[in-house]
Amino acid sequence: MAVRVPPVMRRIRSATRGRPRLPARLSPRRARIFAFLGLLGPGLIAANAGNDAGGIATYSSVGAKYGYELLWTIVLITISLGLVQMLAARMGVVTGKGLAELIREEYGIRWSVLATSAVVIANLGICISDFVGIGAALGLAGVPTQVSVPIAAVGIWLIIVRGSYRSAERIFIWFTIPFFAYPIAAILAHPHWGKVGKALVVPTIHTNSAFVILLIATAGTTITPYMQLYLQSAVVERGVREDELPREEREAVAGAVFANIVAAFIIIATGATLFAHGVHHISSAADAARALRPFAGSYAEVLFGVGLLGASLLAAAILPIATSYVVSESLGYEKGVGRRHEEAPVFVNIITAMIMIGAFVAIIPGVPVISLLVGVQVVNGLLLPINLFFIWRLARSPRIMGERHSRGLLDGAAAVTVAVSSTLSIALVVITVTSL
Amino acid sequence: MSAVSAPAAEQPPILHLSAVVGSALRDANGERLGKVEDLIVRLGGTGYPPITGFLVNVAGRTSFLGADRVSEIATDGVVMRKAKLDLRPFERRAEEVLLKRDLLDRQLINVQGARLVRANEIELALVAGSWRVVGVDTGPRGGLRRLLPKGLGAHIATGEFLDWAGVEPFVGHVPTVRLRVPHPKLAKLHPAQIADLVEAASRREGEEIIQAVGDDDRELEADVFEELDDQHQREFLEDRPDAQVAAILSRMAPDDAADIVGELDENRREQVLSLLPVSHRVKVRALLGYDPAEAGGLMSPDFILLHGSSSAGDALNAVRRSRIAPELLTAVFVSSQEGSLDGSVAVTALVRADPTRSLSSIVKHEVPCLSPDASFEEVARLMADYNLTSIPVVDDGGQMVGVVTVDDVLEAMLPRGWRRRFGLLGED
Repeated sequence: MAVRVPPVMRRIRSATRGRPRLPARLSPRRARIFAFLGLLGPGLIAANAGNDAGGIATYSSVGAKYGYELLWTIVLITISLGLVQMLAARMGVVTGKGLAELIREEYGIRWSVLATSAVVIANLGICISDFVGIGAALGLAGVPTQVSVPIAAVGIWLIIVRGSYRSAERIFIWFTIPFFAYPIAAILAHPHWGKVGKALVVPTIHTNSAFVILLIATAGTTITPYMQLYLQSAVVERGVREDELPREEREAVAGAVFANIVAAFIIIATGATLFAHGVHHISSAADAARALRPFAGSYAEVLFGVGLLGASLLAAAILPIATSYVVSESLGYEKGVGRRHEEAPVFVNIITAMIMIGAFVAIIPGVPVISLLVGVQVVNGLLLPINLFFIWRLARSPRIMGERHSRGLLDGAAAVTVAVSSTLSIALVVITVTSL
Repeated sequence: MSAVSAPAAEQPPILHLSAVVGSALRDANGERLGKVEDLIVRLGGTGYPPITGFLVNVAGRTSFLGADRVSEIATDGVVMRKAKLDLRPFERRAEEVLLKRDLLDRQLINVQGARLVRANEIELALVAGSWRVVGVDTGPRGGLRRLLPKGLGAHIATGEFLDWAGVEPFVGHVPTVRLRVPHPKLAKLHPAQIADLVEAASRREGEEIIQAVGDDDRELEADVFEELDDQHQREFLEDRPDAQVAAILSRMAPDDAADIVGELDENRREQVLSLLPVSHRVKVRALLGYDPAEAGGLMSPDFILLHGSSSAGDALNAVRRSRIAPELLTAVFVSSQEGSLDGSVAVTALVRADPTRSLSSIVKHEVPCLSPDASFEEVARLMADYNLTSIPVVDDGGQMVGVVTVDDVLEAMLPRGWRRRFGLLGED
């Protein structure tokens, strides 16, 4: 061999003291990083994906039509969402299985396929609305939809399919940072804080049907089935250990609280501007952003647009993943974010198809987005009770959950949440169908 | 592929579990008595597991019906031998599982493919005089048949299915018995494949795999442990008593054992170490003193170091006698008069050399070596530059303390996403 080497033994000392990153071996440091990142994980991502284009449109409508009056519902919704998300995280940790997998094992293939097909339809609709949201947000900056949406679609696809789960999760966490735009926008709009505080604790109820519909829509858009499905699958994929469960549950609850604080600030921001100035009707999230300009200055509009973009990107990335997980779990296909096409063909194909369809429909000019969203709401409304019922039943089963099965107050609260949200969801479906 | 085609004409016809469950229970005269709810099968033996009985619903009550009382099983129902019905409550005997409740729709190990699959349908056939489970359908046909209404689903033909010989079911979730069914088929897999399965399975299923492997073969259990990723290693070690952890560690190479000890809780380390055999303990403890990201943390303390005056034949004998794993023993190291490292001789060179020649005459001097605190990049770069599969580590006094082999470096260099073939992805 032609390698020239010194004749004497070489002694090599490491000149640099900087240590290589050896992920498999640096456990104490890793533990510290994890403790920090623990606050920022699937719980945060899942709950905040709910503040997407549809969510922002709903909250803006609430703020424009009733000012701060509906803020008290956000408090109640936060409790329910936190509870449901916590149970989903717990089931993921204890069983090491996704929700669709558990439903299949305990209730058979028909129930799991029923739940799965509803998830696919509902999520596809939400996915489309989020690509519309991306187009609308970048439209505020003058970028045409035909340019922004395809670029966003390709970017999201690359993150999910080419990255690992960890890197994808880290990027998703960055997507949640624009949510801070809403509190800033709200503060810039100078709300009457005394009235805000009162509205948070004192319930106001009107008896007209428009109020009831908006109330149900608020609950429906905040507690969405894919959040639990995504959270549980993500916890499983993360491989969270049982002794890390308390942290994971805290994170699920914290995610729900953060998401709803953002929702509350959207209501406050629109309440302080649109409602206060007599604008009671808006038809889309972008309208809400534009409408803020005269009252809150150009910053508010930019902030609103940035928030909408982050929210829509996050949801447009989460929905294909959640859908693909559910289908793969219930039909028994290989799955995992970052898996190559040849490793998990069905999983990757579903993600690709969701993103393609979502982006494609969103750039068709004149797509009836509003009626599409209404249809999606109906499917989601039908799905939520099924989903919550299974979560409640599975989480309270000692056979499945062992020591960690829910009992007493927790089980009671879960049952109440299931009953109330199911009633609201079914009411929404009835109202939507009869008003068509 | 691991699937077998549907049996040819001379083989017995296949019956689907989903067709039998829910069908009628009839007496010898064809009178309908009730409904079949589930089939009981006994695992644990060799060959296809036999059906030992049925759960039947007669007049709203679920009871047990032994297989010996049944004359015929078909899609249109189960026919009893006698007209008289003798119903007993069902009590699970050892190694018995319910096909629908415990196996259908759940995960199984496809042993040939070394992956997890889900049972969409369970296939039965009359083999050697009794009805047995012959295979599992994991494809879309089985699922579709059960999704469709019974009349339509019956038209879906039997597709390819996995022969039972290539399948291991999970039984850890089966209540009451917590039965200990051995999984002999797993032993055919490579430890790395078993580790992949454990990582892809849920916690309980993974525990079941490790337990089954450990019951049959402690050596294999230790090998599987070495192959598991950190997270799973820690998870499974936490549940085990110190003595068991020590037993596993003592079967591992010292450097792998040191990695695992490093993963343990600070307060458990000493207890576990004290339970190791003395020679092993000394090596592991020495390795624990090094930074895991430096040469000292990567190296193995097992190597052969001989004086330059020894002959090639002596060196070969030393290789023969030693119990060092083959991948760690690619070269014999040679020391100088003062005991410091002089160079190395590849085992291949020893085999080729005249046995009477002294090592000092065939030693290769121009071999780089590392100090224990050489960084990981140094290790990787030197091995690549000099085309080495192993590299000696030498302390400040010139004494050889260990050897870093290429597999350790490869493992640490592997990009995160490549680490696993399936299941969970690499962690931070």
